[in-house]
Amino acid sequence: MSVSFIAEQDFKGFVSALIQARPVYGPTAKRSRFVFARLQTPEQLRLDYDVTILPPKKLFFPTSQDIVRFDGGKFDGCIQPEEMILLGVHFYDVKAIDMTDLLFRDRNPDWNYLANRERTTIVASNIQTVAPRAFWASAAREVEPKGHDAFLTKIAGGYVFEARTPKGKALLKHGSFQKASETQTQEARKANQDVLGKCPEAHRADAAVIAAKVRAAFKNEELWAKFAEDCFSCGSCNTVCPTCYCFDVQDAWNVDQKSGARTRYWDACLSEDFAKVSLGAGASENFRETRGERFRHRFMRKAAYLNEKLGAPACVGCGRCSAACTADIADPVRVIEQILKA
Amino acid sequence: MSDAVSNIFLPREATIVRVEAPTESERHFTLKMADGSRMEFEPGQILEAGLFGYGEIPLGFASSPTRKNTFDIVVRSVGRVSKAINALKKGDSLYLRGPLGRGFDLSKIRGHDVLIVAGGIGLCPTRSLIQYILDRRGEFKRFILFYGARDPKQQLFLDDLAVWRKSKDVEYHETVDKGDPSWKGNVGVITKLFAKTNIDPDTRAVVCGPPVMFKFVIAELDKLGIPRENVFVDLERRMKCGVGKCGHCQINDKYVCTDGPVFSFAQMQGLEEAI
Repeated sequence: MSVSFIAEQDFKGFVSALIQARPVYGPTAKRSRFVFARLQTPEQLRLDYDVTILPPKKLFFPTSQDIVRFDGGKFDGCIQPEEMILLGVHFYDVKAIDMTDLLFRDRNPDWNYLANRERTTIVASNIQTVAPRAFWASAAREVEPKGHDAFLTKIAGGYVFEARTPKGKALLKHGSFQKASETQTQEARKANQDVLGKCPEAHRADAAVIAAKVRAAFKNEELWAKFAEDCFSCGSCNTVCPTCYCFDVQDAWNVDQKSGARTRYWDACLSEDFAKVSLGAGASENFRETRGERFRHRFMRKAAYLNEKLGAPACVGCGRCSAACTADIADPVRVIEQILKA
Repeated sequence: MSDAVSNIFLPREATIVRVEAPTESERHFTLKMADGSRMEFEPGQILEAGLFGYGEIPLGFASSPTRKNTFDIVVRSVGRVSKAINALKKGDSLYLRGPLGRGFDLSKIRGHDVLIVAGGIGLCPTRSLIQYILDRRGEFKRFILFYGARDPKQQLFLDDLAVWRKSKDVEYHETVDKGDPSWKGNVGVITKLFAKTNIDPDTRAVVCGPPVMFKFVIAELDKLGIPRENVFVDLERRMKCGVGKCGHCQINDKYVCTDGPVFSFAQMQGLEEAI
């Protein structure tokens, strides 16, 4: 749409102005790691982050979210989105947000997510530091990052700001932008191109080959059992995944024992009782009883089941699961490598 | 964007018209919508029934849409929600979302012999189809119903059973896994009933019951030479949202709440997790 440049010394003023205008969420330091959090000052923004602990989906799909509130016999929804700016999203998370957008919109549109999403202006940013387990250069290559409103790239002396939508363009008025020169635009393009060569891990096969091989390995129970041998069923891989969106729903009363809320919470298909039903008289049936079955389900979801719907596998290569897994058995690159060899 | 029309989690209020206790742990509710509207559904479809402060549970409709104005559900006391629902009385409210999912494809069943195999509480969702067939008997050919219960005390819809035993509209066969001194009927697993009658390979078969039952019944249907596209199974899974989002009911890449709960057995080929 339009390409602008803002000088380094003017950038803080721009972020300050955004914070004045609307709630702004961006990557901030939390001890040695990074988290998306609401910015109070421009100094908190750390665009040099490698990867955040949790993906930005938490802003549209909070870890706990009331979906219905009740009071005696009365009840109502509680969709109350706030206008916000989400600043500094890496391209792999942009792809993941685009995927969850589609999945929450699919068939029965869920406005508890979509309303938050639609009120958000997303400014993506280039990757300045590469996370140790990242493989985004080789993941979900079939889809372009889209759905963001602008893209910010750090270059010498400042930032190139590429507005992609009217919402993105509207942010320009908050800073001292000038038209980017051809050289500046080229430099930004080169930075985004060059970083793709810096991933420490990479898939060696195409997504279609991976999807076919992973799907074909379904009945190789021994293989899945072996992969999951050390699994604690903790669901950390699910929790940190930018494309996981399963949830549980629980009701709770307020202290008055009359009013309360029906709330959804992030859930994890790796947890033991995720697919368990009680049949009564103490009997139950767990449709994915073993760790191997649950581990397999997650890999099928990430590598095969959703590909047709999403146009790419539901794994964008952020490497969060690889790093979060206590037993270090979740790394998609390593697991898929072994499936391809099996 | 109006919250009221767009929140897929907002239920509608229904009023309990009648409560029966067919067994110690089950309650059979007859309901009507509180605002006087009709619940429009198809046999085999499901709903989420909830009570605020407790939660929601997925259930099949236990009556046919051909029965006007009211509809039935049967709830087994198992957990927090079902126990709270089963404590309700006539005149109390229940909060429902539905109908949800895909029921029986009647266009594939009409005009043919029909065999329904129902095990245990599997009789509840199939009762929506049983009543439908009985109400529109002329649209179907031969109608055979197999029902198996754990023991005579676990039998549901006793009034219905009494009618079906004598009815000329349905060839009804029943068994219990374990009899008691008063039981004069068949004893044994449901597959034993296949020896009681001849079944044409062109029959449309409907199966619903506990997970362990499917394999054995499908094997019998295979023996009869019923093609798999003519076999329909009604599946149960854990569900939270009922609208294809929460992920709990997934079988491979299908959501039981939206793609099912009724699947043809042919559709289930390639769904390794189905049975």
